[in-house]
Amino acid sequence: MATADEIAEAYADWQVRCNGNARLARMLRGWDRTVHLMATDTGDGFTIAVSGSVLADLRHGLVDRPDLVVSATSEDFADLFWGDLNPSEKYVSGEIVLAGSSEDVMRLDAMSMVAFLDQ
Amino acid sequence: MTGVEQTADVVVAGAGYAGLRAARDLAAAGLDVVVLEARDRVGGRVFTEVTGSGAVVDQGGQWIGPTQDRLQALADECGVTRFPTWVEGSNLEVRSGGLHPFTGLVPTSDPDGSADTVATLLDLDLLAQEVSPSSPWDHPDAGFLDSITLAEWVATAADTDVARSLVATATLAVFGCGPDELSLLYVLGYAHGGGSMSSLIRTSGGAQERRFTGGAQQMAVWLAEGLGDRVVLDAPVVGVAHGPSGVTVTADRAGADGVRAPWRVDARRLVVAMPPAVHGRIAFDPPLPGARDQLAQRAPMGSVTKVHAVYDRPFWRDAGLSGQIVADTGLLRATFDDSPEDGSHGVLMGFIAGPADRLSESAGPDGRRGACLEELARAFGPEAAGPVEFTEQRWSAEPFTRGGPVACLGPGVLTGCGPSLRRPVGPIHWAGTETASAWSGYIEGALESGERVATEVAAALGAGAAAPGGR
Repeated sequence: MATADEIAEAYADWQVRCNGNARLARMLRGWDRTVHLMATDTGDGFTIAVSGSVLADLRHGLVDRPDLVVSATSEDFADLFWGDLNPSEKYVSGEIVLAGSSEDVMRLDAMSMVAFLDQ
Repeated sequence: MTGVEQTADVVVAGAGYAGLRAARDLAAAGLDVVVLEARDRVGGRVFTEVTGSGAVVDQGGQWIGPTQDRLQALADECGVTRFPTWVEGSNLEVRSGGLHPFTGLVPTSDPDGSADTVATLLDLDLLAQEVSPSSPWDHPDAGFLDSITLAEWVATAADTDVARSLVATATLAVFGCGPDELSLLYVLGYAHGGGSMSSLIRTSGGAQERRFTGGAQQMAVWLAEGLGDRVVLDAPVVGVAHGPSGVTVTADRAGADGVRAPWRVDARRLVVAMPPAVHGRIAFDPPLPGARDQLAQRAPMGSVTKVHAVYDRPFWRDAGLSGQIVADTGLLRATFDDSPEDGSHGVLMGFIAGPADRLSESAGPDGRRGACLEELARAFGPEAAGPVEFTEQRWSAEPFTRGGPVACLGPGVLTGCGPSLRRPVGPIHWAGTETASAWSGYIEGALESGERVATEVAAALGAGAAAPGGR
């Protein structure tokens, strides 16, 4: 189990890597979305805003209306942001669940994979 | 009637899933149907064989994935169960002669190349979402998208050779031809029809997710049993005379004594349930309209040989391997663990696809066997070199399919001939997975096309609704 603070710390690391990634910036172009993260074990909710190819700081709590909702265990969120977990594998196995339009799901799946590979 | 052996409301030419599904619906609508099948079996591109060593192998189509609802319903109806394709353990990437284990969809040995692959696939999938799978030629940029090949698009869309190579491998496995042989527009519509290119190449969550216990041909056999003596085997259609009042279909039917003789059936309508390249060999009188005949000439089948190596046990699982290979060279660019659900013996299945399939013609069965086993041994260890049995199914050498798994349309074909894919020619209607609006190239698409054509024909004949009824 990971606490909200631990997830925030891991996210901050991931955010820096993502925002400095040219390939991701290209993939994010024109894709302004609000993403909610739901930690299925702790019940913690988080919000990430993506705007102008930049990932904003993680906000604790569910803010605004989400375009996408990602559900996973708190541990998986922390591992994903630290880059220790292959997101595509977890998504395929159903341990990470993405809810949203098929296009948004496709994008987030691909972008999380690129962030993982490009680290 | 003089010179005619049989009459019917509808003749269905081809007893693959498309033809059988059409025949079942037409019979349920109260129409008198005759199905003429060229081979001595039903199922078309789906063919389950029990090998000499007792292994049940699917020599053709074998998988079912999410959103293939018709196939799922049919399997449920005949009580055929499914089980997940084996994915436990690491996949192996064979690149530049090296072996690299990976998990998930994309090989990870070259992170930059892999990230580029994912980004390229996403670009392709986003583009595909804009293209209608049933009428790609209606896209506002159809002219441009149909003027270039997938290879030309990937050359600029991808930054790395790794991505280009992985897209090529995926294309070979999916279409039986290389990216340089396929129109970009065709690929986009085809991918969208199955959700996305990513879903076409996925195992879990994608087109290769599950297999059928006992093989994928069972539902075809079940459909044929329901149709009883309406299905005539060993009777390839060789000629079709057609006019406003109907058709006279001539088959080269094998009699009980094995002697072939013309078998003529008069009918009000004909359903052609086979790939365009195969119906191109039938003599139509009068000839088909130019666009349709051009389609038959310009929709060559992919080139694929499916090989199975049968072992006493799935030994690669002990080494933590899934049996899946993604290779940048060689005969086998993609392999899967095709062992039975209970793992009572081991089966590795691989595709020899595209140019490799054509070029390996001269190697002969022994040459191909040797090369395949060498490649399997390199990936899975020396034990792989000594299977109990090795089989190959060369679809390109099958006169009644002419290749596989699907028709490969190059540039200009969809925009030029696409509208004639499903357009009836007088009393002649078209079915087959190539005509499907979703999951073209798959069993699901074949079933959809059968359903669609049955509705079309029943409406034309003013028959009752061709709702799926009893067998």
